[in-house]
Amino acid sequence: MFTKVFQPKYFVLLTVFLLCCGITACQSANSARQQTASPNAEQQQLLQREVIDDLGRRVRLPANIERVISLAPSLTESVFAIGAGNKLVGVTSFCNYPEEARKLPKIGDTMKPNLETIVSLKPQLVLISTDSQLEGFLRQLEANNIPAFVTEVKDFDGVLTNLRQLGDLLDHPKEAEKLVSDLQTRVTLVQAKVKNENSSEKPVRVFVQISREPLYTIGKSSFLTDLVHRAGGESVTSGVETAYPNISRETALAAQPEAIILSVDESMGSQNTAPDDAFKNSPAVKNNRVYPMSGDLLTRPSPRTADLIEQIARALHPNAF
Amino acid sequence: MRRAFLIFTILVIALLIVLLGAMLFGGEKLPFFETIKAFGGIGGLNEQQQRILWEIRVPRVLLGASVGAALAMAGASYQAILRNPLAEPYLLGVSNGAALGTMFALVFFGNLALMRPLLAFVGAGVSTAAVYTLARDRAGMSAERLILSGVIVTTFLSSAIVLITSLLDATRLRSFTFWLLGDLTSAGKESFYIAFGAVMIGLLILTWTARSLNLLMLGERDAFDFGVEVGRVRLIVFTTASALVGASVAASGSVGYVGLVVPHWIRLAVGSDNRIVLPASAIVGAIFVVVADTVARTIIAPRELPVGAVTALIGAPLFVYLLRKS
Repeated sequence: MFTKVFQPKYFVLLTVFLLCCGITACQSANSARQQTASPNAEQQQLLQREVIDDLGRRVRLPANIERVISLAPSLTESVFAIGAGNKLVGVTSFCNYPEEARKLPKIGDTMKPNLETIVSLKPQLVLISTDSQLEGFLRQLEANNIPAFVTEVKDFDGVLTNLRQLGDLLDHPKEAEKLVSDLQTRVTLVQAKVKNENSSEKPVRVFVQISREPLYTIGKSSFLTDLVHRAGGESVTSGVETAYPNISRETALAAQPEAIILSVDESMGSQNTAPDDAFKNSPAVKNNRVYPMSGDLLTRPSPRTADLIEQIARALHPNAF
Repeated sequence: MRRAFLIFTILVIALLIVLLGAMLFGGEKLPFFETIKAFGGIGGLNEQQQRILWEIRVPRVLLGASVGAALAMAGASYQAILRNPLAEPYLLGVSNGAALGTMFALVFFGNLALMRPLLAFVGAGVSTAAVYTLARDRAGMSAERLILSGVIVTTFLSSAIVLITSLLDATRLRSFTFWLLGDLTSAGKESFYIAFGAVMIGLLILTWTARSLNLLMLGERDAFDFGVEVGRVRLIVFTTASALVGASVAASGSVGYVGLVVPHWIRLAVGSDNRIVLPASAIVGAIFVVVADTVARTIIAPRELPVGAVTALIGAPLFVYLLRKS
């Protein structure tokens, strides 16, 4: 997450650009090779389809995908939620939800996936989220002719789009569509309740403390900014560039949030258990409005994001529920 | 003597100006004249602005100054005792030893703030001792051999740090990676007191040994003939320097290039008398880090850069320039 500071998007653009150059250069060689390919291979070509991922990459995929590897806990959750969990043949060691995901073969963590393990699992598709900063790894996959689909989720609508995409890719469009409409209904309901209770007041000013040392919060391009907004709040750092900025303590003190959300990892002894000292005179701390929430939920754009929106809304507007 | 007095008067005034200037800028804009008034004890800032100034900005600037002074002084004393202008806490593995110690403190004593500088000092001390023993043979200790041993210890400890960060959880890793680059954002009052105390004691001890260091720079045998207890002086200097590095690394991670660039520049400017070089390095080191940190705090405000990235960005070209000039 911290590497967001280094603007991976530019790196991605550069990678894509370089790849394009490479592809054009190789094309003549490829067409020559294709002519000598067997008729059987040609038939398989017909069964292929071309999709475009969130980075605008054209990805050629087999028509039927039965073997998928997920390189992000959020994508693992989404694949299970649309009922395609049985197609997963490998996940990361961070993929701890749902329970079935723990039993699947591990291909390493999101930072260092093991290419050899991935190749040996013979995936027809590898799912990648831009949140895991694996753009460099993309090249290695491409070099091994493993198709990869990259998703980028910026808000709650993005979660829904992502579920539809996965439904199409993994041939579970109906389940995906049903899930999408369920989630939509739930979140619309929350937004209505919050609005009802909150009609005259301004939204609650919220600071989301991702980590305390150094002090990380959510910025303009984090999907959490949208979630807080839907839950009847307003992130005090919504104007700050990047998704997860390292914020100045002076700015934090001046922000005077009315509520603070702490990202807490249940599994590991987290040090993010209390608001930073800069907040000790803020209305949030004075009124004891500090809410620890699951770091897993806060960092994963998945179907459980609807749970998170409900949780935030209940915390910010207890009277509405 | 008059020359020394002049040099230190100028440097102290420069330090005071830089400290004051650094306290006027930060992530939040404070009204300029009211802030100056606040330093004179006259009100003008509201309660919240007072808190930003006194609870966040001032402790951080002072910690930056202490860290800079400690690192530059440690660098100057290593260079003097090894008679090698490239000797530096990093090159000798001392910083990495301190970093490893701090990591242990964070992993095993997560919430005990006092364990950090303590284990950092232990780490720095142990790695200094390791370098010291590795470099020694029957004939004594040559500067080349010491530097080589330093390289071995450095690379070994770097690998150990990589191993630990690989074993650690991702969320903890995140703060470590930034911390390894040098980071003053977690400036607390305690870490300032510890770093400041180390700087003051270190300054006293090192200035007191400065005469012996001057003689040592002529060569160990010559120094011995002049009555310098070479082994004892070396032990005192190494221990003091490790304590300085330990205190600064525990407070702010690995802020690079300070120990290399600052003493180098001082020697070019005022000559190599350690009685002047050591305290002057402390003052200029403080100025260097405070300026770099002010850049780190303000250039992309309200976000922040790790200070180590800024010192390296300023320090590396500066060092190349100084090398060419000398």
